[in-house]
Order: sequence, then C-alpha cells, then structure tokens
Amino acid sequence: MPPDDAPAVAGDAVASPAPEKRTERPHPLTPLIRGWVVLLAIGVGLGRELLGNLTEDRPLPPITFLIVGFVLVAVAAVVIGFVSWLTTRFVIDADELRIESGILLRRSQRVAFDKVASIDVLQPLAARIFGLAELEIDIGSSARTKLRYLTRSRAYALRDYLLSRAHGHRAEIGEVTTELIELSDLQEPDQVLLRLSPQRIVTGALTSNEFVVLLLTILLTIAAVAAGVAWLPPEATGGRRTGFLGISVAVLALAVSGVSGIVGFVARRITGQFNFTLSRRPSGLRISRGLTSLTSQSVPPRRIQAVELSQSVLWRRLGWFRVEIDVLGQHLHNENDTRASTSSVLLPVAGLDEVRAVLAQLWPGVDFTTIALRPAPFRARWLHPVTGPFLGFGHDDAIVVSRHGWLQRRWQLVPHARVQSVRVSQGPVSRLLGLADLHFDSAGSRLKVRAMGLDAGHVRERQAELIELAQAHRPDLTLDGVGAVPRPVDEGPATTGDDDPSL
Amino acid sequence: MDDLFRPEGDWSRLPDVAVLAHRISSLVSNIVAWAVITGAAWLFTNPEPRPTLVAAAAGVAWTAWRVIRAGRWVRSFRYTEREHDLLISHGLWVRKLIAVPYGRMLSVEVTTGPVSRLWGLASVHLVTASSESNAEIPSLPAEDAAVLRDRLIATGEAQALPL
Repeated sequence: MPPDDAPAVAGDAVASPAPEKRTERPHPLTPLIRGWVVLLAIGVGLGRELLGNLTEDRPLPPITFLIVGFVLVAVAAVVIGFVSWLTTRFVIDADELRIESGILLRRSQRVAFDKVASIDVLQPLAARIFGLAELEIDIGSSARTKLRYLTRSRAYALRDYLLSRAHGHRAEIGEVTTELIELSDLQEPDQVLLRLSPQRIVTGALTSNEFVVLLLTILLTIAAVAAGVAWLPPEATGGRRTGFLGISVAVLALAVSGVSGIVGFVARRITGQFNFTLSRRPSGLRISRGLTSLTSQSVPPRRIQAVELSQSVLWRRLGWFRVEIDVLGQHLHNENDTRASTSSVLLPVAGLDEVRAVLAQLWPGVDFTTIALRPAPFRARWLHPVTGPFLGFGHDDAIVVSRHGWLQRRWQLVPHARVQSVRVSQGPVSRLLGLADLHFDSAGSRLKVRAMGLDAGHVRERQAELIELAQAHRPDLTLDGVGAVPRPVDEGPATTGDDDPSL
Repeated sequence: MDDLFRPEGDWSRLPDVAVLAHRISSLVSNIVAWAVITGAAWLFTNPEPRPTLVAAAAGVAWTAWRVIRAGRWVRSFRYTEREHDLLISHGLWVRKLIAVPYGRMLSVEVTTGPVSRLWGLASVHLVTASSESNAEIPSLPAEDAAVLRDRLIATGEAQALPL
C-alpha cells in the first residue's frame, strides 16, 4: 500500500512548488450504506429458512446459535466494508484523477481527464437518506469507474470540475454554492429543455405497448382459467360440478395478482421517471429523474451514434414518441428506465415538437421531419405483409432515416458521420421479388439501423451515394463536417483538441 | 451471377487452394460436432439403436452438404478495391455486399489458423469502429495478405481526412 501522502509525481509544467497531494476518502458512512443490503439479505434468508422449518415441524436450531451466527456475519460484513472504505482513496486535483482501492489486490487507476466521456451522479435511496451520492465516471470502456459514496455537494462539485476538464478548460473545484434542489438537482446555469409532468408519465405508461400487453395477458389468463374451472371434468372435483363460487374464487385470486402486477408496473414507471428533466448546460445535455433514487446522467452529444424514435399503437393518436440513443462505449439498456442507473432513454414520452427541439440540440441544423421518405415498392408487401405500407427510407446530407415497425413504429436516425460501413443484403425471397436491404453499421452496440424492402435495381446506387456521404463527413464528433451550423452548445476557450480519439 | 452483387469492375477472387482449405475445415468442425451429437444420442437411448443411427445419418448428410457448400461459398467470394472504398461480396442464400470507406478503417489485421497455415493462407480483417461491419477476406496467400494489408493502410492514410 503506497503511503498516503505520496509526493506529486514529476510536477506539472508550471513550476509552482509541488503541493502536498491531498488524498480523500469516501464518506465514512459508506460501509454502512453498502453493508445494509447484505445484512437485509441475510436477515431475509434466515427468516425464510426459519419459517420453512416451522411449517415442516422440524426442530428449530438453538436460538443462541442463530444469534451468534447472525452477529458474526454482520460483524464480518461491517469489518470488510470498513476495511475496504479505509483502503479506498482518491485524488482529484489540477494534475490527476486517481483512485486507489482494494484490500488484497491493490488497484490504482489513473484516468486522463480528456478521456472522461460522461459522468453520472446516482443517489440510491439508502444513500439519498444520508445525503450521499455515487459518482460514476464513464471513460468509454466497458467497466465504469465508481466512487461511492460522497456527500451530495462534493459529488456535484467534482462532477462539474471533471466535466469542464474533459472539455479542455482549466477549472477550479468549486463549492456547489447554488442551493441544490432536493428533488431534481438542477443548478444555476441549467436551461430546462423539457420537464415531464406526473400526468404525462402516468398517461404515457398506461398507453404504452408494454402496458397493453400486460393487460391483455392478465385478461386472457383469467378468461382461460375461468373457462378451465367451469368445464372441469367432474372426476377432478370429486363428482361435484364446480359452482359459481369456485369460478369466482379462482378469478379473484388471479385478479388480485394481476392488479398488483399493473400497479407495480405503473409505480415503477413513476418512481423511475418522476420529475424527468432534460436540461442543457455548457458541457452538454443532462437528464435527471427519479422519486426514491435520484439519477443524474450526462449525455455526451458527440458520442451518440444513432437515435431511435418509437411509438406505441396508442401513442399514434396522442402524437407521442419515445427517444432512445446509442452511445459509444456505453452498454445502456432500458430496463423500463427505472433503476437508479444510466439508461438509453433520452425522452421517455414527448410530442413531436419537443423531440425536434431536443434533436436540434444534439445535431444542430438537422431536422428529420423534412427528409422525404421513399416508401417501399408495392411488391415488398409479399415479404413484409404487415409493415409494408409503413416502410420508408430517405436521407439528406446529414443523416439517414429509416422507418419500420408495426405495433411499435420506429424511426431510426443515423448521421453519415457515424456510419462505419454500408452493407447490402438479400435473402432468397428478396431475390425473387427483386428487393434488398441496406444496413448501416455504426460504432454503437444497441441500435442496428437498417432499411428493408428496397428496390434491388437502385440499391447499389444508394449504397454508393451513402458511402460517398459517409466518406465526405469526418468521422468526428460534431456534425458540422459539411456546411452545417456550428454547435452553439460549446463555449469557453477554443478547444482545439476536442476531437474524440476513440472515433 | 447476380448483377446486384457483381457490379462491373475488377473483382478479385480467392485462390483455388482456399476451396480445399475451407472444405477441410468445414469437414473437421462438422465431424467433431456430429460425433458429439451422435455420442450423446447413443448415451441416452442406449439399447435402442435407431436414434443413434438417425443422428449419424443426419450428421453424414449435413457434413456432406456443408462441405459442398463451403466450396461454393469460397467461389462466390469476391472483393475489389475501389478508389474510396473496399467492396466485399459473398453469400449463397443471403447475399451480401459490404462497402467500407477507407477513411473509416481503424486497423487491418492479418490472421491465420492451424488449418489454413498448411496451405500458407491468411485472412485479412478490416477493423472499423463498428463491430457489425465484419469485413473479412478469408484465405489469401500469406504474402498477398501482407501486401493487401500494407496497401489498404497506405490508401487509408492517404485518404484519411485531416483531423
């Protein structure tokens, strides 16, 4: 274990007297917050075991034995947590970002400031009660660097500092003086782009395809069981026909679990997306959301590879869309966008004007609604009987748009600057019909952008055209490769080295 | 063949030894896989001989089919270096035409395995930032592969837009 006050390695260019390195530890309550989950799990496990023993009339183990065991495990958990807290130290100052951790295997991780892609501040319920927060640093690799737990204000101060360093500005670690609003962590320079009202979240959840599917499943199950009970052969019930009572008991039991499933679904949506706020700061976009756990996620516009708009059946009437993004190096999943963690959902439910406004923040000068989409030829309906009429594909000099889907309609958008290669593929049926598909490969991992049912006669021209456009755009982070409007978001001193090397 | 996947141009094909190499590697992998399946069938249906025989027959038929197809697949494979991009075309049932602009190329890998090394073959893999691109030219003679790699890198560097 290196000494705590290791002197600064090879001082910075500025020859100021090398200051003593100040290493920090996470907040002292960390082991308790991390440990209580373990203790709870042990308690629940023991309780279940004991209950099982009671119902099966097995003798209970001596109570002293149990208590001693529980205390030993608890003490061990706390000690391990404490030692791990004791050995975790970090330095975030003008020169470096370094985290040291580990009990047996010492680990010292140093991160280059300019490689920091995004930083999220997560506040799970247990931490939030104590005013603590977790800092998650995304450097584009699969493992995210985590610092837990810090006081909330410290976490936000470090987040702001690291983000401005990542953008190439020299900055000071400031105190977060602005009063942090407990519910949504917005700060002074934030410009709110969109805030979802609880009504919108509930309506959105109730009209989503997931909800409709859930409802139909429950109703069908109840109907099937009721029918099954009603037509049960007499032998199965001991010669008596099942009466009305039997049916209603079975239906009631199912209905109760069905209702609890529905309530759980809606409640998860509300707690996860409560107060969903998308705001703009000098360093990019930021999402904050959550009722019990509070998540604050920064969205790096330059690392977004593709965007997908989707619309459930009922949302077509309401004119609502859900927007998901594919971010380089982040393996985001939507998990019904509820957990206290980062998610791929940029907008859970928004109207077309809101979607356009937000996309204009990501990709200035790009408006997907103005791009004319060519419908698939009529013969494509042999291969895509249901989705056929909705298929569409088009592009302008900045992005490619592909439209497909049936119950869940999707619009996939990918900028030419993010296209890595373009593939034509044609299966045996497509060959008979003279159709072909185009695939756009981007560096993301979630969204596979493809255009289906294109006329095979013209697909090669399209491919050549699109490859040329891709080639003409530098594979860099802004979309202003070819005469687009410069990004208004970034300000401050010119950041010459702002090209993301990972692209 | 199909015009769509054979646009006019100077298409290169894989060498004839590649047919043999692909057939043999297909033969070996299929025999191993079907031996395992047949063994499992024999193990679980021991006294009854029929399932084992069915599995073995299916294995022989499938292996023969795959070996024939491997040869046809290799013959269907073409690639061409154009001014700004590399085109690769292959596939029998599902035909594919992949276009990779040289500017998107991150690196070029030349790899070789134990079977293809017997014939001095190596494959050239164009790495882009996307894992989906999958632009690979299998089974070129090792010297040609190295030459192609160097040429691709040189073209890529010449065409890379200044960052």
